[in-house]
Amino acid sequence: MISVRGIHKSFDEKEVLTGIDLDIPDNSTMVILGPSGQGKTVFIKTLVRLIEPDAGSISYDGEDILRMSRREWQAYQNNIAFVFQNSALFDFLDVRENLSLFLRMHKKLTPFQMYAEVSRAITFVGLGDDVLDKYPEELSGGMRKRVAIARAMIKRPKYIFYDEPTTGLDQNNAEKVSELILMLKKEIAATSIIVTHDIKLMRDVADRVALLREGNISFTGTKDEISAETLDFLYETRGEYDL
Amino acid sequence: MARIPSEHFFEKLGERSISFFTTVYEIAILFMQTIRALPSLWFYRRQFIEQLYAFSVKTLPIAAVIAIFIGLGATVQSTYQSSELLTRAVLVNVIFKTTILELCPIVLSLVLAGKLGASLAAEIGSMKISEQIEALETMSLDPVGFLVVPRVVAGLLMLPVITIIANFLAIFSSFFVSAVTSEWISAAEFGSGLEMDFKVFEMYFGNLIKPAVYGVLIALMGSYFGLKTSGGAKGVGAASTNAVVVSAVFIVIFDYYLGKLLL
Repeated sequence: MISVRGIHKSFDEKEVLTGIDLDIPDNSTMVILGPSGQGKTVFIKTLVRLIEPDAGSISYDGEDILRMSRREWQAYQNNIAFVFQNSALFDFLDVRENLSLFLRMHKKLTPFQMYAEVSRAITFVGLGDDVLDKYPEELSGGMRKRVAIARAMIKRPKYIFYDEPTTGLDQNNAEKVSELILMLKKEIAATSIIVTHDIKLMRDVADRVALLREGNISFTGTKDEISAETLDFLYETRGEYDL
Repeated sequence: MARIPSEHFFEKLGERSISFFTTVYEIAILFMQTIRALPSLWFYRRQFIEQLYAFSVKTLPIAAVIAIFIGLGATVQSTYQSSELLTRAVLVNVIFKTTILELCPIVLSLVLAGKLGASLAAEIGSMKISEQIEALETMSLDPVGFLVVPRVVAGLLMLPVITIIANFLAIFSSFFVSAVTSEWISAAEFGSGLEMDFKVFEMYFGNLIKPAVYGVLIALMGSYFGLKTSGGAKGVGAASTNAVVVSAVFIVIFDYYLGKLLL
């Protein structure tokens, strides 16, 4: 379980996270929902120490990761995978090397085992082996996102974080990504943490939902417990979203 | 015309000074982190080999052209200024030492600061703004070990190699223009000019020590400004420019102090 207590983060004078408390149960899919500019990306990056918070604690299974040394945290990161908003594939490596980088650096596998892992991951996300020799710039946005999910999957993480996984994708690709998130959760039994503004994605994949507004959690519960009024309040609109 | 209030001037001066010293401090920290991460070079050997290639094969053509014309230019200049007071062999010696000790190492380093420094900063800067550096961290890979160490060590090793080749080409082109295509000096006199007051340390200084220091500076500045990039394409452009300008300034400063300390 991930427990977050009293997380604060400011940039210059602006306080972006204002004391967040949140519990994320194991093997669940937690969607942190909110409109743009509420601190979603800052929050999810804080959860994996890509951004260091000013105050508060973040515990994974009771262990406060903010107290870990850099080296300890680096070792612990083998349990964590992160799918970035714009995929963040290494543009100087082809897809095969992007997928095998973690294995090459951290696992003692034979070339055959590595090839099998890579091939399995790329097939899992619905792409063919022909993609493996391409560079990220040769792929569409949807394909890049799928490769990013395959790269996350190959680590076999305990926790998998998604930053706006459907942003910038057309409806078909967004639905495919939703399916992959559900399939991946079944495949590797990971705890998934997703930040998004996409209500449809939340409806499709969430076990639990936290609403983020003005740098704090204004609601936590199941997706069925969220009322239209709550969403109206969150998005400052009147039903201008697809439920 | 509106007067600038003096407080505003001092405020700006203070801000600039703080920013300057912060940058120097951060570069020193990055240098220390690079030294600490040196043992990981074997772990990142593939990146290291790629950087050796980038620092050598990719820069050799431009280095060769520059070296040849440094040799030609130095010879033309010296022959133009030659007088009865100095023998031609002495002039060859002046050309030789000037080229080996100063001209080739510094001109080459300044040009490579433009070529390599800008490309390193742009490459790492683009990775920074597209979250690839953060992606490295989430894969338990150290960005300093993965990106900076291979580049700095490649700079340390390959700039001397490039400079040795460049120095050879410069002296050969000087020989070609002064003894082969013209009869300004004979080959034997040219040879005796090279041997005159020959000091082995000077060869180490011009071929190894100076280029090694400049190689580290170029790679370190490119990496530092790349890692500090923010704000999109404009930020990448600014990082490249800063890497080139700061490398060039550091190179000329180090050029003076290395000569003063070691010669």
